[in-house]
Amino acid sequence: MLLSSIRNDFPVLFRTINGNRLVYLDNAASTLKPKPIIEKISDFYLKHYSNVHRAVHTLSSESTEMMEESRNILASFLNAKKEEIIFTSGTTMSINLIVESLIRNCFLKENDVVLISAVEHHANFVPWVRLSKFHGFNVEFVKPSGRLGTLEEQDFLKFKELKPKVVSITGHSNVTGQEINIEYIKSIFPEAILIVDGAQLIPHKKIDVKKLNVDFLVFSGHKMLGPTGVGVLYGKEKYLEVMEPFLYGGEMIDRVSFSDVTFNDIPYKFEAGTPNIAGIVGFGKTIKYLENIGFIEIKNHIYDLTFYALEKLKEIDGLEIYGPLDERHLGIISFNLDGVHPHDLAHLLDEKFGVAVRSGHHCAQPLMGILKNESKLSVFPNGTCRVSFYVYNTNEDIDILVEGIKKIKEWFNVQ
Amino acid sequence: MYNELVMDYSRLKKYKGKIDNAIVQEGKNISCGDEIILYVKLEDNKVIDAKFEGIGCAISQASANLMIENIIGKSLEEVKELIENVNLMVNGSEYDKEKLGLISELSEIKNYPMRIKCFLLAWKTLQLLIKKNT
Repeated sequence: MLLSSIRNDFPVLFRTINGNRLVYLDNAASTLKPKPIIEKISDFYLKHYSNVHRAVHTLSSESTEMMEESRNILASFLNAKKEEIIFTSGTTMSINLIVESLIRNCFLKENDVVLISAVEHHANFVPWVRLSKFHGFNVEFVKPSGRLGTLEEQDFLKFKELKPKVVSITGHSNVTGQEINIEYIKSIFPEAILIVDGAQLIPHKKIDVKKLNVDFLVFSGHKMLGPTGVGVLYGKEKYLEVMEPFLYGGEMIDRVSFSDVTFNDIPYKFEAGTPNIAGIVGFGKTIKYLENIGFIEIKNHIYDLTFYALEKLKEIDGLEIYGPLDERHLGIISFNLDGVHPHDLAHLLDEKFGVAVRSGHHCAQPLMGILKNESKLSVFPNGTCRVSFYVYNTNEDIDILVEGIKKIKEWFNVQ
Repeated sequence: MYNELVMDYSRLKKYKGKIDNAIVQEGKNISCGDEIILYVKLEDNKVIDAKFEGIGCAISQASANLMIENIIGKSLEEVKELIENVNLMVNGSEYDKEKLGLISELSEIKNYPMRIKCFLLAWKTLQLLIKKNT
């Protein structure tokens, strides 16, 4: 599929925002949805919908088949077994499930070390920090020593001797746009249970979980053109088999008596209650849609946009870009314009130019503290502006963004 | 929204800073992380001086400056009335325009639900300060 014709699949791209054509640059928060995926979900609801797994009637059987077909698609996408694909509500729930289950099964005990980084999204930060208070394990943080929030390989090396039981790390920072070298992390901590937060990574990178040899990989549908409320938890069979479920209820059981309960097989023992069936069906279609474009094409396109944007943004005096300024920087650019608060910049980009960007702390407050210390701005606001690209973005989008920033700079009369 | 009044008041320096021996109240906008520290000096139930510290967007800074300008010299009763009218204004309800003076030139904020928190940060902090100290 040609990237130029992709835009036709997204009717929202043709609406105007405050009189301007929409330039959507908030993809790291959530992407827009194309017609084929919306139609798949709509068709499912209109012609096939029922609850899954339990009933013997035709609709239930069709729904079950369609949902399980999505599981097959996701399994083959990751080169995993079907049993290793658990559907959750998204990355946040996937991580909470892993942390809680690791504790319940005593994989994670008092005084064990969990290593995460200081650039994590709150979803891969708060569960560890909070649960460590109740269960006595220690959380250590890899701090970025590189340029404005950039994690360097030696930052991880420092923790080798600590022999962490668990290493839970983002594959791609949602603030700095840095892609993290997971192979390297695996090589320094071969013994640790390795969890990768793939929320920002999987949208542009096809991962072979066997080859990468990660123990858990989690991501969300809505950041890669799919529906909201659905995500994936890939876990190695050897862990999933023995892990205690996180949520108890219907569907996840084998036998229930007054004295005890036995559980269903994996993956079902981790999918209590009625799942987001239509979302899961839509997620399967999403993977097919992206594979049809091609993940290599997607990555190349995002790389080109990022490079183009970085070059143009670097020319604006007083604009501070966070993260690395090399090939590790992909898809997401966070910055501040000295003297203009990110909220004002985001507000005016939308109001005057139709450009949708994010402003704020991006669910990464610990990282904001680090950026504040290293920033050369006259005043660092408690956040940044963030632009992020996906398949439908163009160089023209970036031109509009850059022109907008220059105009706003003039209005604020900052030197 | 970004009229001359907002731009001018967002850069005002005279109400920024600390006041010794004043009542202090911190406020935070959790959606963006912006913080404010409000200093208010009371005498005989009257605001005799007020200042604030903090970093924020133009809307929050302009609103805080306008607030301080409008509460200095006012009795607590008058300040409460002011807060009440500001709340009515941002909700798009009927309010006493005369009581708000220049502040009413920012009434357009009611059309920007995502920015109301910025506008109200100083006012909510003031409300809390009064509640805790009277």
